[in-house]
Amino acid sequence: MSERGNIKKVSELLRGRQISCEELTKSYIDEIEKSNGELNAYVKITPESALETARAVDKKIADGEELSPLEGIPMTLKDNISTDGIETTCCSKILKGYVPVYDATVWDILKKQNAVLLGKTNMDEFAMGSSCETSCFGGAKNPHNIEHVAGGSSGGVASAVGGNIAVYGLGSDTGGSIRQPASFCGIVGLKPTYGAVSRYGLIAYASSFDQIGPITTSVEDAAIVFDAISEYDERDSTSRGKNGTPSATTLKNSIKGMRIGIAKEYIDGVRDDVREAVLGASKVYESLGAEIVYFDLPVLKYSLPVYYILACAEASSNLGRYDGIRYGYKAEHYDDVNDMIKKTRSEGFGDEVKRRILLGTYVLSSGYYDAYYKKAQNLRGTIVNAFKDAFTKCDVILAPTVPMTAFKNGNAISDPVETYLTDICTVPVNICGLPAVSVPCGFNANGMPIGMQLIGNTFAEATILNAAYQYETAVPEAFKSSDFGIKL
Amino acid sequence: MVTREEILKIATLSKLFVSEDELTKLTSDMEQVIAFADTINSAEDSTTEFDNINNLSNVLREDEIVPSIDRDKILCNARDTDDGHFLVKKRA
Repeated sequence: MSERGNIKKVSELLRGRQISCEELTKSYIDEIEKSNGELNAYVKITPESALETARAVDKKIADGEELSPLEGIPMTLKDNISTDGIETTCCSKILKGYVPVYDATVWDILKKQNAVLLGKTNMDEFAMGSSCETSCFGGAKNPHNIEHVAGGSSGGVASAVGGNIAVYGLGSDTGGSIRQPASFCGIVGLKPTYGAVSRYGLIAYASSFDQIGPITTSVEDAAIVFDAISEYDERDSTSRGKNGTPSATTLKNSIKGMRIGIAKEYIDGVRDDVREAVLGASKVYESLGAEIVYFDLPVLKYSLPVYYILACAEASSNLGRYDGIRYGYKAEHYDDVNDMIKKTRSEGFGDEVKRRILLGTYVLSSGYYDAYYKKAQNLRGTIVNAFKDAFTKCDVILAPTVPMTAFKNGNAISDPVETYLTDICTVPVNICGLPAVSVPCGFNANGMPIGMQLIGNTFAEATILNAAYQYETAVPEAFKSSDFGIKL
Repeated sequence: MVTREEILKIATLSKLFVSEDELTKLTSDMEQVIAFADTINSAEDSTTEFDNINNLSNVLREDEIVPSIDRDKILCNARDTDDGHFLVKKRA
C-alpha cells in the first residue's frame, strides 16, 4: 500500500496532535510550489486563507472541541466551482479576472466544516474536453508520467490528488469529467446521481447533465466527501439531497450474492489491456461471492451522439450569458453593443468552446430542431428505459471507464469526432442521471493506470461504493500511488 | 452536407465572428460532427417521450422578499459601470 495521505489518516494525525493543521497545510503549500511547475494542476493557490483556516482548526483542537470529518483536511476545487472572493475562471480567457460574489453550495458546506482550500485547479475550458488541454492555462499533467495528460475535464483535481498535493478535491462530471481523469491518474472519482449534490454555484456547461462529485485516493474518502456534500438545497430546483443511509456506513458489507452486470457493448471496442483489466476485476468479484450477469445494451451505440447533441444544445444556451457587460473579458475596440458582444465572445472563447456553441446552435435552429434535438431527446428516453431494464437483471453494472489509458500530451487527437469517442463509456451515465464510481483496476505495460466504473441505479451510491470498497480491499496494489507529493 | 454559408448563419445566431481562415476548418469539423450526429436517425423513435431525469418536477416557493447580494459587490466584476449601473455603448 502507498503511504499517501487520505482523509482518515490525516484526520487521525490532527486529532492525535502528531502534526498541527498549520504545519500540515504549510507542507502541502510547499509541495504545490515544488511540484506544480511539472504537474500544472493548480491555476490559483490560496495560501493565506488556507493557513488562516488551519490556525482556526488548531485552536479548536487545542480547546478540545469536536472536529467534523473533513475539518482541517487540505483540499482543492475545480475552477468552475464558485468561491466568494477567489478568482474562478473555468480556465477560459473570457472569465479571467472574474471573482464570484457568492459561494457554490458545496463550498459553503465544506467551508463551514473548516475544509482547508489550497487553491483552484485546472480544467478543460468550460469543462469541454477530455485531456485538460483546452484550458487557457495549458493542460494538467499525469502524475504517473508527466509526458501524458491528466485527462479531463477535471484534470487539475485528478493531477493534484493523484500527485498527492491535495488530499481530495471536488470536480464536475457532465459526460465523464470526474471519472475519466480519475481513471487516467489511478485514483477514485464519484459522479453522484443527478440531484444528489447541489449544482448551485457550479458554472453551467449542460445543466441536465452536470453534477459535482469527489475525486479521492480511496473509496472510503469518496464516501465521506459524498456524504458531506449531498444535501438538499432550495437554491437548486433539481436538488434532491440525501437518499437513504450514509454511504460510508455500508462499505464493509459483504457483497455475497450481489449481481454485477456486464454489457458486451461496453467491453467491445476498448483496448485489449483495458478489457483484460476489467474482466480480471469481474473474476475478483466472483471470488468475493458476487454473481456476474451478462446482457446486451444495444442502445448504447446511440449514447455518444445523443450526448453531444443535447449537451452542446444546452451549452449554446448557457454560454449565451458571456457578453462582456457584467463580468469577465471585454473586447477593447468595437463599434456598437452588438459588435462588442461578438468581438468579446470571439476573442474570449477557445476553439473547442466555439465549436460546441456552433453545434448546439445548429441542432436547435429552425429546420434542424426535429431531426437532431427532438430526436436525441426522444432517444434519451429510450436509453433511460434500457438502463431501468438492466437494473432488473443486476444491482451494479461493471464497465471500463475509458476505452484506453492516458494519451500523451498534445496527442489529444485533432479530429473532433475521434476525441469525442474517448467519452463513449462515460456519457450513458450522465444521459440517465445515474451514479457511477471509477476505481483503479490495474496498470498497462507502460505503467499507466487503468480504471473501471461501477454504475448504480438512481441514488444507489451506497451500493456502488460498497462494491468499489470490497475491490479496493481485495486488490490494494491497483491503487498504487504516483511518486509525486506528500507522503505521510 | 454543411455549407460555409450555414456556418456563417449559425455563427451570427451564436454571436460569434468567424474569420475566413477559421471558416474552412470549422466547416470541415462541423461536417464531421454533424455526420456523426446523423447516426441517431437510424434509430427507431421511442414510444416514451423523455421529460426529465429522476422524475423531477417544478419547484415553487413562496414569493417572499429575501436579502440579495449587494449591488456594488456585483458591479465589481464589470469593466464599465456608471452610477450603480452596467455601462453599455449605445447601438449605432
